[in-house]
Amino acid sequence: MKTARAIYEDGNHKWFAIVRDSSRPDFLIDTNEYMVTSEGDAILLDPGGSEIFPAVFSAVSTGFDPRRIHKIFASHQDPDAISSLSMWFEFNPAIKCYVSWMWQGFLPHFGGQEDTFVPIPDNGMDILVGSQRLQAIPAHYLHSSGNFNLYDSKAKILFSGDVGAALLPPGEDGLFVEDFDRHIRHAEGFHRRWMGSDKAKRDWCARVSALDIDMLCPQHGAIYRGEDVQRFIDWFSRLDIGVLKS
Amino acid sequence: MANLHSSGETGHELRRIVRINEEIKCVVAKAFKINLMAMNAIFLAKRAGQSALGFGVLSNELRRFATDLQQQMAALRETTYGSVSTVTTLVKQSRISRLLERARIEAQGEGKRLLQQLMCSRDESTLARSEEQMAALNRRLSHMIAATTQLVELGSVLARSAKIEAAYGGGFSTSLMQVSSDFEKIIGEIQRSLESLTKHQSEDFLA
Repeated sequence: MKTARAIYEDGNHKWFAIVRDSSRPDFLIDTNEYMVTSEGDAILLDPGGSEIFPAVFSAVSTGFDPRRIHKIFASHQDPDAISSLSMWFEFNPAIKCYVSWMWQGFLPHFGGQEDTFVPIPDNGMDILVGSQRLQAIPAHYLHSSGNFNLYDSKAKILFSGDVGAALLPPGEDGLFVEDFDRHIRHAEGFHRRWMGSDKAKRDWCARVSALDIDMLCPQHGAIYRGEDVQRFIDWFSRLDIGVLKS
Repeated sequence: MANLHSSGETGHELRRIVRINEEIKCVVAKAFKINLMAMNAIFLAKRAGQSALGFGVLSNELRRFATDLQQQMAALRETTYGSVSTVTTLVKQSRISRLLERARIEAQGEGKRLLQQLMCSRDESTLARSEEQMAALNRRLSHMIAATTQLVELGSVLARSAKIEAAYGGGFSTSLMQVSSDFEKIIGEIQRSLESLTKHQSEDFLA
């Protein structure tokens, strides 16, 4: 089962990382889910694939009432990010899913009704969770053509979706990056192959460098903290991407 | 058993599981409180000396009761988590069945016959297995709740006995009486949570 670990807490404004499913079959890629709560309201960020719904649902329920999850944020359309939508929709038919306008007609293949989806315009939008205003930050073509990150200016946390993702080997799967140089080797191949646009990459690096970020939280692998955040942005800006082999 | 094939029913089942889980969390928090209170009561009885020997024994028993209750609730929680997996499988299976049914209606000739055959074998195997699994989990949950209710009844008897023993606590009688009243109050709250739990458990589930 996964566990929900609080990574930020200020009163009832909290961030949880839902991570490390020991019972996950090896053929499924490991994913991180996140939940932001504020004043009785909650949003799930990339709730994961339908195969891992029981693990995510149970981890969330351990410390939180899942009936308070009113919103879902999908960074992009991949099944490992959002195919559990059908299950969340079963649980709460009034749930809203924020996703790039591009995927509004695609995601209903996973589940939901017409009014389930809130399209995010290309330049992003604000999403209110309780009293907290979160910002959908454009990250198009990294890797999806309609792709967003989610920034919380109060918590100084950026949920970066597939940007910063690493495929960690067993035994090196801590929640936080502890040794950047050692960690980044597990991110390199993924970024070279999955990230296709150098221009989009440079735009993203400039955009997020202007944000005040304490934690950069990817959908796979470990969380970057403190100086490792800028270290990652610098590493990514220099990386040769859109190549078949390194 | 309620028909869990339809989309609304599975959603209802998930919400029912959440209501059960929320009550479990309440009981766990109260069991933790009883454990701490019992520990303090043991110290208090030691300070009171000979006159509170009986109260000390009962406090020890209440502490053991709290530990047993916590274990029982952990097992209950595990069973409800198992139900989430089974409901997920049911949702997937029922979705596949709905799509196959639509395909069967639209198909012609041999394709229609093959789909008919496939659906018959699916209905007899996968869905039936998942539903049986769900029914078994619910039966198990009902038995566990019944066992927990009995355990809490024992807790209630212990708290009442502690109240009687407190009367013999000499100079400490007032403090011991206060502690035993608190035990009684919290165990009463647990009983009410268990009643809600039983209600949620039997809600629309006709197994």
